[in-house]
Amino acid sequence: MTQAVVTAGSDEVEPGAIIEHGHDTNTGISNSKLAIWLFLSSEALFFGAFISTYFLYRGRDAQFLKGPTPDKLLNIPFTSVTSFVLLMSSLTMVLALAAIQRGDHTRLRIWLLATCLFGATFVGGQVYEFTEFYRKGLHLGTNMFGTTFFVLTGLHGAHVTIGIIWLLLLWGRSMQGRLPTEKSEAIEIAGLYWHFVDVVWIFIFTAIYLIPTH
Amino acid sequence: MTEGTDLVTLDPDATPAVPGGGALVPAGDHLPVVEGPHHPGPRQYVLIAVVLVILTGVEVATSYLDGHVNSNLLIVALAIMAFVKFFLVAAWYMHMKQDSNLFRRMFVGGITLACIVYGIVFLFFSSTTLKS
Repeated sequence: MTQAVVTAGSDEVEPGAIIEHGHDTNTGISNSKLAIWLFLSSEALFFGAFISTYFLYRGRDAQFLKGPTPDKLLNIPFTSVTSFVLLMSSLTMVLALAAIQRGDHTRLRIWLLATCLFGATFVGGQVYEFTEFYRKGLHLGTNMFGTTFFVLTGLHGAHVTIGIIWLLLLWGRSMQGRLPTEKSEAIEIAGLYWHFVDVVWIFIFTAIYLIPTH
Repeated sequence: MTEGTDLVTLDPDATPAVPGGGALVPAGDHLPVVEGPHHPGPRQYVLIAVVLVILTGVEVATSYLDGHVNSNLLIVALAIMAFVKFFLVAAWYMHMKQDSNLFRRMFVGGITLACIVYGIVFLFFSSTTLKS
């Protein structure tokens, strides 16, 4: 059997292949990673539907601004801080992956917990914001802004919450010594999900908070 | 190792397993999953985070220019900055620059499909008055 290096995306072949580890797949790349990328691709369509709905109704529907209006409700400085927190959680997530890949399990656990803490802070901020809006009279059915805002940001918040639970489970596995360096892909996959949730927020933050509604 | 590559053992009688994917195996055979390419180090990750924070600051500052500059210009500027942030996170934190091209194609394919589908929705409803 000839040994060679195969470049994914090209047919470049070099002699002297190095097999590092792993199980066999049809593609030569991890099935789990393939699955998470496919899932994230479908999530792009999922969130795209809600972001599009928000823009579709925005400014084109008389009911959109009936009742409390976004310019009176949205607290940009506050949401900027929570956005910053979510961005920082992406950094700690990728640092957790770097830690397990070099076999530093203590730092892995620290960065995982930091990511969970940042994520929980973001969700806490969202809960506070929702409560404030509710007190000011914006409900799910008040107007189309309320409907599209609560559904879009609520679904995103649910994704962040799922991510926190996922990371806490991985942290627990690591604490029990059931997450060795060879299984770093488990962290990589959770990280891909987490970064995707961050990426979605980048667009939600711009669409709802930063682009003027008038 | 070069960027965007996977290491596999290749049989001389191999046939393409994934069209355009580059991995070659005889029909019916499986390839061993191999270690992914080298990812950037913590220093690069922190550098990207700094850029992301600066961009977010500029975005927020730009949003306060509403009423002082053309709103279309404002929207374009904000959209460009959001796309740059998206690119930085996807390319560096999600390792799309280093990982297999197949992942990139899959993800970009999903986003492209979303843009096409919702673009059609926008075109369809552009002349319609919406009722809630």
